[in-house]
Amino acid sequence: MSQGTVTLESRELSKTYYSTDPPTEVLLGIDLSVRAGEFLVIMGASGSGKSTLLYSISGMDKPTSGNVTLEGRELTSLSDAEMSNVRLTRMGFVFQQPHFLRNLDVRDNILLPALKGAAKGKDKDAAIARVDALMERFGISHIKDHGITQVSGGQLQRASICRALAGEPSVLFADEPTGALNSSMSDEVMDALTDVHRDGTTIVMVTHDPGVAARGDRVIYLRDGALVDANEMGPWQPDTAQQREDDLLTWLRELGF
Amino acid sequence: MRSTTVKNGERLYLRYAYNDLSRNKGVNAALIVILILSAFLMATGSMVIERLAGSISRLSEQGKPPDFLQMHLGDYDRAALERFAADHESEIAAWLVEEMLGFDSASLTWERPSTGENGDLAASRIDNLFVTQNAEFDFLVDWTGGVVRPAAGEVYVPVLYEQQYGLTAGDVLTISTDAGPHRLEVRGSVKDAQMAASLSPSSRFLIHPEDFEALARAGGAVPEIIAEYRLTAGSDANAIQTAYEGAGGLPTNGQPVTGQQLRIISMISDGLVAFALVFISLVLVAIALLNLRFVISGSLEDEVHEIGAMKAIGIPDRAISALYLTKYSILALVACVVGGLLAVVAANALTQSIETSYAQAPVGIWTFLVPLIALAAVYVIVVAICRGVLGRVKKIEVVNALVHGSTLDEKQTARRAKREARWVRRTGLASSSGAGVNRRLALLDLRAEGRAWVLVPVVFGLTAVLITLPANLVSTFESPQFVTYLGAPERDLRADVQFQQGVDDVKDRLVAAMADDDRLTDVQTYAYVDYSADSADGRARLRVEVGNHVDGAIRFSQGGLPQDGQIALSILNAEKYQVGVGDDLTIDDGDESITVQVSGIYQDLTAGGQTAKMPGEVTEGASAYTVFADLADDGADPAGIADEYGEQFPTAGVKPTQEYARETLGVLIDSMRGAAWIALVFGLGVAVLITSLFLKLRLTRDRPKMGVLSAIGFSANEIVGQVRTKTLLVVAAGTVVGLVFAATAGQSLASAALAAAQLGITDLTFIPNPWLVYVLYPLLLLGAGHLGVALLTAGIRRADKSQWL
Ligand SMILES: Nc1ncnc2c1ncn2[C@@H]1O[C@H](COP(=O)(O)OP(=O)(O)OP(=O)(O)O)[C@@H](O)[C@H]1O
Ligand SMILES: [Mg+2]
Repeated sequence: MSQGTVTLESRELSKTYYSTDPPTEVLLGIDLSVRAGEFLVIMGASGSGKSTLLYSISGMDKPTSGNVTLEGRELTSLSDAEMSNVRLTRMGFVFQQPHFLRNLDVRDNILLPALKGAAKGKDKDAAIARVDALMERFGISHIKDHGITQVSGGQLQRASICRALAGEPSVLFADEPTGALNSSMSDEVMDALTDVHRDGTTIVMVTHDPGVAARGDRVIYLRDGALVDANEMGPWQPDTAQQREDDLLTWLRELGF
Repeated sequence: MRSTTVKNGERLYLRYAYNDLSRNKGVNAALIVILILSAFLMATGSMVIERLAGSISRLSEQGKPPDFLQMHLGDYDRAALERFAADHESEIAAWLVEEMLGFDSASLTWERPSTGENGDLAASRIDNLFVTQNAEFDFLVDWTGGVVRPAAGEVYVPVLYEQQYGLTAGDVLTISTDAGPHRLEVRGSVKDAQMAASLSPSSRFLIHPEDFEALARAGGAVPEIIAEYRLTAGSDANAIQTAYEGAGGLPTNGQPVTGQQLRIISMISDGLVAFALVFISLVLVAIALLNLRFVISGSLEDEVHEIGAMKAIGIPDRAISALYLTKYSILALVACVVGGLLAVVAANALTQSIETSYAQAPVGIWTFLVPLIALAAVYVIVVAICRGVLGRVKKIEVVNALVHGSTLDEKQTARRAKREARWVRRTGLASSSGAGVNRRLALLDLRAEGRAWVLVPVVFGLTAVLITLPANLVSTFESPQFVTYLGAPERDLRADVQFQQGVDDVKDRLVAAMADDDRLTDVQTYAYVDYSADSADGRARLRVEVGNHVDGAIRFSQGGLPQDGQIALSILNAEKYQVGVGDDLTIDDGDESITVQVSGIYQDLTAGGQTAKMPGEVTEGASAYTVFADLADDGADPAGIADEYGEQFPTAGVKPTQEYARETLGVLIDSMRGAAWIALVFGLGVAVLITSLFLKLRLTRDRPKMGVLSAIGFSANEIVGQVRTKTLLVVAAGTVVGLVFAATAGQSLASAALAAAQLGITDLTFIPNPWLVYVLYPLLLLGAGHLGVALLTAGIRRADKSQWL
């Protein structure tokens, strides 16, 4: 799919939680288009519905109304099993907390989706080779045998990115991937994501941090469940990083961030 | 000032308890249900036992049953009885000879003039004995305890018949005698302290002496007597029995029974279900305690931050524990109160039939104290265990709690990290792929978190024991092979020629007829010969079964078959005569005395468990005979042939051997089957409950993991599948362990219980119904686990997966 075509799209997307009294209307009819290869950043105040939007367009949660299409395929009508398969083969996730399985070592955690997607034999060997290459690339092959309690947060988050990429997704979703990290670890992780983006993977990321958001191609701003503005910034370059961040901050201030 | 702070503190505890109770509704509901069940069964069982004991002794007070009795069939020497009484004047307070007329059930019919209804009592397997009221003791009483004296032409029927056939005042009972029908008007029912137990093989009808005379003259009845003794305070019934049997010349052609045995039989036949309830409740209490431990440790881990914070601001450990303890004390208290109230209702229902057969027990202090003590014990144990588990609060370190959110201290954390590191190095997930990943993950989870899952297999193990043990007992007692515990070979037909005049003649004609019968083969006769021997209490009668004893027919617990010059003794007799295998025993048949060696000791339930066996052949002069025969054609119906012989030899008691076992044990088996059903229903209910409770807590903890798996691409079905795999694996493991335990240790336990009941069995080998115990029950338990999984994972498919992260 060439740069510029819409790969992920939501129409009239709404989400209401009925578990509360009165029901909480979190998303109020969101129309969103994500272009193939784009690095899209979702910002907004706490509680504005950023996470809800991310999980609704990635099929983790069922929207109350509206629809979502990925690569021309309508996601909202898929069964749970079909949707899981889409997540397995077309999507990757990185969360604020790395959420690894405690009883698997780092490499097995990363391998998990790849193994699940792979049939026996060649397929599997290819998956293992791919994962080892990813770990090498993100500088964590030396910790592959470690338990997840034995490595640092930055390493774990890079491992998360490896896991997200292990299935060769077309879109990577990240919900505040640096939210639990200090600034140097945060940079490590964002460098990794920027790298992934350069390779052509579409990224949709939620963040609070303007410095982190500056890495994106485009920032959209969410307020009370509605998209209020968007900021097209173009590809990130290390030398213009500070300038981008300042511009972004000004824009955000105007929106009342 | 001080008192207000205490009050405030208490209110805080209560508020905390209230908040927690309303927050974790599901878990608390499951906990309280288990606690209520435990309390309920415990209280019900103890109430029923107390009521039963009370009813039995109340009826004893009213009816004054004998302390020792000897049944007898045939002529007897009254002067000898008088001499015996005079010789033992200091021990015997009163004695009498009860004369009875035994009629076959088939010769009794009834009709109800008001409605024209009628019927017969032929289906009854019980001996029907017609008697007159006694003067001094052994009274038949009405429901108020009053001594009943029927007028001429009237009859009072046993309560049993009132219950089973609905015989009431106004009905007419007709007895067919040789001289024609004898009609009596039913005036009511009587309770019988001597024959009240549902295991009792006979029952008494009360009539006027005139009718008694008439019936005796009319013929058709088997006259029997019972020599009955009331002893003075402090006298030993066993000693009197020994003296009686050793005296010589006294009527002994029948079963001797002591008052103690009467009470034990009553307790066993009518109290078995109550004892089973107590047993079930003990298992439930154990399960409830395991659960509490699990839930409390869980909530300590969940709330470790709060605990750390409380500790940091200086709240003492005891106050923190008290915060939690309040909740569990309230739960336990509510459970005991609710369980106790429910028990009152259930115990009332259960004691109704007891009160009908025995007497209404007087309500005394123990009526309330017994169940209260039982409930208090449940409460105290529950609270004590909670307190013990909450002791962990003391060990929680502020820094670890606040910073790492861990209940463990540094050393424990380090140990745990090491353990986890060791685990993960061995996982080798890469060896699986595709759908196999699910199974692999489930197994890895179990391996790593095995300790957290241990509750489930333990509970299922206990449940498996709880449901298979009674089932094994029932199938063992019901098994065709069980007759060997009755000291009898596994043969098709059995005839008992006993307790009557002319036994030799009847036996000879029967054996001749059987030998001529083409349908029968292998006719064999055993003779009962009375000897006397020295027992612990003095000289006593020893009835020996003489015949060709074969291997496999007798359950030896030591030694083996007797050869010439040897004798085998039942367990109770070996105890009575204080001999073991290899010892010599001198026995005396009245003419001469011989010394025989004990070859073996075997288990026997018959004749009060007191039997003996010697090889040889005795064709005349024995006091009774048993004749066994096999069917030539295995497919033939033994009952039909038995009936034929029964008509030809009405006094020979010809029966299919299996029916003999059923008659001996029928009531016992019925009440055990009741207990087995109760155990099954409660066991399965508890299994579902515990699985649900466990999974509820487990799944709450596993939510982040489920969220990740879902994001990675595992479907809800696969995640549920993993939960199911894990659950069913631990359920299966627990069930297998439980079954093995029930088959081994459970068997020893059952044997020990039977040995304690002094019935004559000390070493029971289960004869399980394999389809039931090893196929159906495990499947039911797996089903219970499955149901728990289904209930608890129902919401997973619909859930928004992001909520788990
Ligand atoms: N399960 C739920 N039931 C009810 N309300 C919910 C539920 N989940 C989220 N909400 C509400 O929806 C709103 C949006 O939540 P969401 O997590 O999407 O916000 P967010 O923008 O990601 O906030 P943050 O920056 O704090 O992560 C919040 O007001 C939250 O309280
Ligand atoms: Mg969020």
